Formats: sequence, structure tokens, C-alpha cells
Amino acid sequence: MIRTEELLLNVGPQHPSTHGVLRVVVKLDGEIITHVEPVIGYLHRGTEKLAESLNYTQIIPYTDRMDYLSAMTNNYVLCYAVEKMMGIEVPERAEFLRLIVMELQRIASHLVWWGTYLLDIGALSPFLFAFNDRERILQLFNELCGARLTYNYMRVGGVKWDAPEGWIDKVKAFVKDMKSRLDEYHNLVSGNEIFLARVKGIGAYDAETAIQYGLSGANLRCTGVKWDLRKNEPYCIYDRFDFDIPVGQNGDCYDRYYVRTEEIRQSLRILEQALEQFPPEGETMGKVPRAIRPPAGEVYVRIESPRGEIGCYIVSKGKAEPYRLKFRRPSFVNLQILPKLLVGESMTNLVTILGGIDIVLGEVDC
Amino acid sequence: MQWLWDQPLSWMNAAWFTLGALCVLGIVIFFVTYAIYFERKIIGWMQFRKGPNRVGPFGLLQTVADVAKLLLKEDTIPAKADKALFIMAPALAFIPSFAALAIIPYGMNLQFADVNVGFLYYVALSGVTTIAIVTAGWASNNKYALLGGMRSAAQMISYEVPLVISVVGVAMMTGSLNLREIVLAQEGYFWNWNFLPQIIGFVVFLVSALAELNRTPFDLPEAESELVAGYHTEYSGFRFAFFMLAEYVYLYAIACLTTILFLGGWNPPLPQLAFIPGIVWFILKFLAVVFFVFWVRATFPRLRVDQLMGLAWKALLPLAMLNIFITAAGIHWFGWGG
Amino acid sequence: MIGMMKGLGVTLKTLGTRKSTYKYPDEPIVMPDRFRGIQHFDPDKCIVCFQCARICPTQCITMSGKPNPDPEKKGRVIDTYDINFEICILCDLCTEVCPTEAIVMTNNFELAAYSRDELFKDRVWLQENNTNVRKDNNNIGAPKGGAK
Repeated sequence: MIRTEELLLNVGPQHPSTHGVLRVVVKLDGEIITHVEPVIGYLHRGTEKLAESLNYTQIIPYTDRMDYLSAMTNNYVLCYAVEKMMGIEVPERAEFLRLIVMELQRIASHLVWWGTYLLDIGALSPFLFAFNDRERILQLFNELCGARLTYNYMRVGGVKWDAPEGWIDKVKAFVKDMKSRLDEYHNLVSGNEIFLARVKGIGAYDAETAIQYGLSGANLRCTGVKWDLRKNEPYCIYDRFDFDIPVGQNGDCYDRYYVRTEEIRQSLRILEQALEQFPPEGETMGKVPRAIRPPAGEVYVRIESPRGEIGCYIVSKGKAEPYRLKFRRPSFVNLQILPKLLVGESMTNLVTILGGIDIVLGEVDC
Repeated sequence: MQWLWDQPLSWMNAAWFTLGALCVLGIVIFFVTYAIYFERKIIGWMQFRKGPNRVGPFGLLQTVADVAKLLLKEDTIPAKADKALFIMAPALAFIPSFAALAIIPYGMNLQFADVNVGFLYYVALSGVTTIAIVTAGWASNNKYALLGGMRSAAQMISYEVPLVISVVGVAMMTGSLNLREIVLAQEGYFWNWNFLPQIIGFVVFLVSALAELNRTPFDLPEAESELVAGYHTEYSGFRFAFFMLAEYVYLYAIACLTTILFLGGWNPPLPQLAFIPGIVWFILKFLAVVFFVFWVRATFPRLRVDQLMGLAWKALLPLAMLNIFITAAGIHWFGWGG
Repeated sequence: MIGMMKGLGVTLKTLGTRKSTYKYPDEPIVMPDRFRGIQHFDPDKCIVCFQCARICPTQCITMSGKPNPDPEKKGRVIDTYDINFEICILCDLCTEVCPTEAIVMTNNFELAAYSRDELFKDRVWLQENNTNVRKDNNNIGAPKGGAK
């Protein structure tokens, strides 16, 4: 008698498309997925626990390693939380530098996503196109703070380094070039019928589901919800600049693709304005007490990282070390919807949908 | 070579056959070595990279070094693999690919075997490789390999249908399946080549050929972002090299076939250019086809399995059928072909 | 079809453009001055204040002092100074807090080794790592009023 069996397949933790060390246990009926179980924790380093025995300056390099594609926003969220607790004023020039590096970081992060996503879908070239341009951003960061990935750039009360001579002009030149490069990206991929057939209508969910699952960032905006903390709860100096929040309609992989590529364009717009208004001189470090000891109490701040809403919750007992530190990591929260989206899809769509969520395992496992 | 066929098989003749086969093998291996090199170079150039440039001048010996590495590697067979099939599969993949080359005419008198059903012979043999890939997928005892093998079976069988039917138009115009006669029927100016009257057939053939070759955008059996390495996940060393070799030999065969069937074989584009030997024209056209395959690989994403099947059965097959009707009408009313 | 053609056009155009490959092992990569590479340690400047060991987020610096051998002078001098590059994250905090610039970053970054033991660098090695020393050691975030 013919008997069919479900195929239990371990995708990852060393699978090329799980973007790190995610393991997805899937049950397959033929090539159709019937059950999904993401297994996380392979990259868990206990950042939050470690932070309890470190002072606030020492925690900053640890935040670099959470979402390693977007270290600047991680730096910022921690400094922002401490500054809010202590009521520290950040000088104008430092705020501009922070904003510029955060937007550059957003572009760099979306470029990595764009390249690796298309690599998942099977196109080879976009990956190198994206990394080629990201390299310029990394060079700029390297000149600014001496590292290409783990910047450790921001400090409570300001930034560590002022912009070196000619740096602002280099960023201006980059922003100018990046605009035309983005058009070329669209020529290379966005119109390709095979690509459209692969992403349109795949992994769709509606706004209500997205909110129920606590999604944020492009994963939320693709459903048409206009929610961007840079606009809705302005932090840093985002309220001074004019930009749009790109939203999708269908909540499918194509809309997520569209939202992210459009966000690169909006970031370039913010950068253009910020570089125009960049104060020619000024302090880069505010008045910070010698020892950073936030008063007893708690604070929660959230900002818009390239992957969504990154939050930082600090409980202080008035010591130099936090009593408890908690990061709300967007990748971790966004990943929750994966099992729901995958059931009934084929093995190929697993890669498309997982890539579309844009997770960074360093942040998921923290 | 024709005079050899007409003589009885003696030891001497057998030696000649073997020698000839070895020559072709040498040419093919040379081609494969440099096809891989140029594929990496071209794709590198298209991605702001330089491609291989470390081993030998301009990296020309890179593939040689890679092959040497593969041959020196430990021969691993997974403990729970089906040993006999696992060992057999690479050979089964390579032998038909090589045997299929026997019928390809590179010039008027440059051919191994002048077979009357040349094209059918090719299709029949290339079908055997599908079995090898399924065997490899099954014998590896690896789930990714199995999925890759099954995909490949579905894909190669589906695409063989439009591939064959797209050539029917050419066969009708020539009145023969003999590859040499097909080329001879395309003599004259380049608009006499089959790719213009058979434009639909040409496009269908190219697309199905890409799918037959398991190359982007149809490289699903080894889609590395989903199936790790597909049917050859568990293969390493020289067994892997055999799969690789088979893949590139098929590239060679398909590029030759495209040249012969649609691009006029060794005919120059203008009869005035006939002073340049036919083999040069053949090689130029052949290289153009190979370049196109690499170019597509550098640009396109991969299709999904269901879309792949849909394309074969819902788009390519009807188109190929339509092409037959158009050709028939052309022959009947406009006097196309011989 | 148009979208595919456009894509083919882009790749064909890229075929002839300038390549962005670094000739890395053949030509060393010149890092900008601020680059945070392997530290250089100058024992003569060190005042054994332990600030670097204390600020290090991974506790990779171990050091010890001894009384100044010159009886005329007060204070302590450095005895041992080791950085474990297995866990050092080159975060720049040690150079940021050093009041005398005894420990500074260099632009050297090649640390690959065959054995983990080789990554444990002692005082002598760090002192000899004196090429490409960073010129601008902006200690902007350092606690003000450290030992002068």
C-alpha cells in the first residue's frame, strides 16, 4: 500500500538563507509547508544581563553587536534613554551628526537587505551592487569613528568624534550619487517580471494582523499603516525635516520591498536637508557629569531603526550600572509572524517571506 | 570521419574511434575549463568585481587549480547513502552528456557521426541525465538533495516537451532531422538563417534550453538559497566534479545546437565573407550563445517551482504548437524552406 | 519583457565600468587616521592608574604595577600589561580614558594567528607595535580632570 509521510526538514541554523543562525523546523507535504517552528537562541549572548554589571558607557559597544547592520541606531537608543533619565541637553552639532549617521545607517542597512533579499530570490548581481554602494557608507563611518561595523560612536550627551575635515562634503557627494544609483537598482530588478512574479501577493497580511503581532517598521507600513516614529514621536531633530512615510497597500513581499527602497529615497531627502543645515561649528559633547549615574527610576524610549521600533527600557537605582536593561528588538518581535505566514506556502516562498521580514539574528537573540 | 563508419570494425578502426573520442574529450574539457573561467570573469565584471585573477596570468589557471583540488579531496560517501547508486549517479550524468556530442557538425566535414535523426539522438540521450540527477538526489539520503532531485525530474521532463516541439518547425522547413542538412538549408545571407522565420521557435528553444541546462533563471534543482546545493548537496571531490562537468558539457552541446538549428551553423552572415573559414563563424556564434547564458545568469532572479511548470505547459508549449502551425502555413502558402 | 531587458542593459553597462575590488593582500589597505586597530602601549607614559582595565567592557586588559625602582621618585611603574585579543573588541574605550596617552590605537589590524595563545599580547609586543600610531586621540568622552 502506498503511504505518504510528511517530511521534517531542518532549515538552518547553517542554511544559506536564514541570515545568520536561525533554525526553522518545517514539516513539508511535498513542497508545501504544513507546520513551522522557528528556533532561536543560537546567537544569544546575554547582552541585557551583561549590561547589569557594566556602566552606561561600557554598554554602548555591546549595543553595536545587537543589530550589527544598524549599530548607530542601537547606540542612539541607549544614549537617548540615559539622556532622558538624566535630563542632559545634547548640543546642536552633535544632534546633527547623530541624525546624519543614523540616516546613512538606514541606507546601508536597507542596502544589505536589498542585496541579500535578491540573493535569496536567486539574483546574483544586486548583492554586489548593493555592497558596492554600502562600502562607501562604511568608508565614511570608518573615517568618522574608526570602525566599519561596530562604531561605538555615540556617547551619553553627544558623540565621540566631530566630523573630520571634508567629511560633510563627502557625504554630500555620496547622497548625490546614491540617487542615481537607486534608479539603476530599480532598472536592474524592480521591473523584472520574474522578480515581480516571485514577490507579488506572497506572504500577505492585513494591518490588523500586523498590529496584533506587534510588527513595526516596513513590516507594518507595508499594510498601509502610516506609523513611523520619526514622524509620530519625533526624537533627535527629525521634526525639523520634511520627508514622507512610504506605505504599501497589500502587505505582501512586494510592498515590503517597495517600502524599503522608497525609504532609502526618503533618507536621502532627510540627509540632503540635514547636510544643508549642518551647523558649521559647535560642541559635540554636552555637559555630562563625570560619572553617569541616572537618578533612581525607570524610562522607556523608542526610536525607528531600519528594522522597526527599537526600544530601550532602563530601571536605575541611582548607580553607575543599570538595575535592569531591556531592549525591545524589532527583529525579535517581527519574527513572530513567520509561522503564521509560512503555513501553506512552498519551500521557495519560505525564503521569500523570511527574507522579506528582514531580521538580523544578532538582534533576535540579543 | 564518414569513411570510418563505412568500414568493418577492426582493431585499427576501434583505435581510431577511441582516439577521436579522446580528442573531443580534450576539446570539451578545454572548453569546460575556460567556460567556467569566463563565466566567473563575465559575472564578476558585471558585478564590479574582477573575477578570478590569482592563479596564473589573469587567473587563467584558476579552474585547473580548482579541479586539481576537487580531484585531491577525500572521497566521502554519507554513511546512510545508497552506496551503489551514489557512486553510479555522477557517471550516469556525465556519459550521456558526452555521448550526445557525437552528432554535432562543426563544419561541412567536421563531424563525428552523421546521424539522420541527429536531434532526436541528442534529446534521447540528454533525458538519461535526468535519471542520474534523480538517482543522485535519492541516493544521497539527504532531504535537500531529494527535493532537488524531484524538482529536477519535474523540470527537465516538462521542458523537454517544448524543447523538442520548438525544433519541429526547423525540421519541417528543412525536411530533415539531420543536423548537417539543417545547416546546409540555411545557406546564403543571414536572413536565411532559421532564427528569423522561426523566431517563436527560437525563443521557445532558448528558454527551454536554459531550463534543460538548469541554469538561472531555472536553476531550481540546485537553488542554493532554498535547497543548499540541491541534488549534489552530499557530493564532494571528483564526484561533484563530474556533475559540474556534465552541466558544462550540456552547455556546450546546447550552444552548439542553437548555433546549428537557428543561427546557420558554420555559414557566414554574408556569402561575401565566405573566405573566413566556417569553423570561425561557428565558434563566434557559439560563443555568443554561451555569453548570453552567462549574461542571463548575472541578471535574473530564479523562478518558483509552480511558475516554472506553468511557464512550460501554459506558455511555451502552446507557443511551440503555434509555431508549428505558422511554419506549416508558411511552407504551404509562402513556400518557406526547401 | 521590458523589465528583463532593462536589467540586462544594466548588467551589460556594468561590464565595462571600473571595478571596485581592493588589491588587498598585494597592497595594504590604508585606513583613515581614526581607525581603531591594535593598541600600542608605551610603558614610560603609564602611571598605573588602572582606568583602562576598569573601563574595558570585556575585561581583556590585565595589568600590574610595582614601586618605582628609582628611589628618588614616587609612584608606581607598570610591571605587566597584557591584552587578550581573543576578547578585545577594539572599542576604543581604553584609549579614551587613558590620561597620559600611554595606550593608543594604531591603524594595524592584522591579527590572524594559528593559535589562540598567540592572541594574548604582552607588554613587549604591544610596545613594539609602534607603526601607524593614531595621531588624533581625541579623548572627548573621557572623564574630565584625570591625572595630568
